Amino acid sequence: MKTIGIVGAGTMGAGIAHVAAISGCRVFLHDISDEVLTKALERIETELQKGVEKTKITAEQASGARSNIQPTSTFNDFSNCEVVIEAALEDLEIKRDIFRELETACTPETIFASNTSSLSITAIAASIKSTARVVGLHFFNPPHLMKLVEVIRGNETSEHTMQRSAELVSQFGKTPVVVKDTPGFIVNRIARPFYGEALRLLGEGVASVEEIDRIVRLEGGFKMGPFELMDLIGIDVNFAVTRSMYEQTFGEPRYRPHLIQQTMVNAGMLGRKTKRGFYDYSQ
Amino acid sequence: MAQSRQTIFLMGDPSLVLELGEICHQAGFAILYKPASGKDSAPFPKHFKKVNTIPRTVFVLCELSLDRELKKKNLLFIDKAAGASAVILSSSITVTASEQASWIRRPSRLVGISTMPTLLSQKLIELAPTIHTDKAVMARVQEFFARLGKELAIVQDRIGMVMPRILCMLINEAFFALTEHIASPQDIDLAMKLGTNYPRGPIEWADQIGIHSVVTILEAIHDDLDEDRYRIAPLLKQMALGAQWWGT
Repeated sequence: MKTIGIVGAGTMGAGIAHVAAISGCRVFLHDISDEVLTKALERIETELQKGVEKTKITAEQASGARSNIQPTSTFNDFSNCEVVIEAALEDLEIKRDIFRELETACTPETIFASNTSSLSITAIAASIKSTARVVGLHFFNPPHLMKLVEVIRGNETSEHTMQRSAELVSQFGKTPVVVKDTPGFIVNRIARPFYGEALRLLGEGVASVEEIDRIVRLEGGFKMGPFELMDLIGIDVNFAVTRSMYEQTFGEPRYRPHLIQQTMVNAGMLGRKTKRGFYDYSQ
Repeated sequence: MAQSRQTIFLMGDPSLVLELGEICHQAGFAILYKPASGKDSAPFPKHFKKVNTIPRTVFVLCELSLDRELKKKNLLFIDKAAGASAVILSSSITVTASEQASWIRRPSRLVGISTMPTLLSQKLIELAPTIHTDKAVMARVQEFFARLGKELAIVQDRIGMVMPRILCMLINEAFFALTEHIASPQDIDLAMKLGTNYPRGPIEWADQIGIHSVVTILEAIHDDLDEDRYRIAPLLKQMALGAQWWGT
């Protein structure tokens, strides 16, 4: 895999561009905003320098990666791409519009991947004619550090598309896992009870926030407890994921959000980013 | 100090007797155990001494089964055979400590503990005292676990306690995913370890705990809270009956 197109130069798009460029791919990084593109290149530059300082990559690799990335605000060069990874906003209509444009701009062989974490790949694919080449590639944040990529098989995704996508993930130095297009895929789904049961236990008065976190770390052997992790992720983000799972499954009780989450979001206590969540970070 | 203070008596689930017994042995206790059904279901190391009755001088007794009927039978035996001043630590994941205390003559000497295979060897144990638990009994229990080098967390006396409930529900969700064939067991474990930094994958963890124990705990939680949220994944139930996973 030599030439990759990336649509959307936000946190995830820039991170994926970084990973692809380091692995030796030529990368066309697309965004409609020049400002977003400039910021993305700055962020990639910072991370590359950090990588060299920490001797994770050599200076040659960093300069190679730099010259591999070409920012663009059009899809003109996308006819050269073997794979396009879309990392735009999490909005079905926006993604569908992008895929329709890509179908015109790219060759029929180009694989179309969406880095969605919450939308259905099948629903995104349905906007174009050639649905067999549409796949989900769910990178985790930050993409250059997280080893996992979920490769999501939509209803119409071909075996060929799945195989090439998994190969690309391996070429990026990441570990692919294959999952059917279902709400939350693997990680966001199976992690739900980690937060959901902790919130229930708190709500039922079984133990306090601090005690539940301490128990999960010291008895369970987890790196972080559920409440400190929700504070890190953002209580609003975590609540939105849970809510989306609950709605997408037409009210499956295992994914039912908790009143505590809603109250914290209403109070503007969103975790570390607002200095207050389940813990106080104002000091 | 009498030599007998150094002795601990264990009965219940053989894998838990073995796991806790080893921890006590490391801490310098002598180990006495009574096999589950008169005979050994697992070979125990030599330093585990099999007994049929409890010497009156043993002060710490542990009941480690998850099965309700077996637990009741064992606790009635312990209550009758043990010396009056002995404290009883009993696994309270599937039956509350309060209910267990109601079975015995002196409820003030019983404290619930979280005992789940693979978690016992960790740094912390949950304690669930009941409203009857005597303060002096709690002090002795804390002293006992301090000798084992364990940190303690005191939690309310509820079915599932804290870590067993969270962990079993994670495993249950993974088995729902497996039942629905959304991914392979290997990929599910890999995803949870790499994507969220879990110490073990939920499926391999279930194997290590024992599918039967996971299902027993989930059944107790489901019975207690009586919500659809806690229903057990079909595949997990079937595997507890001896089936093997044969999916793609």
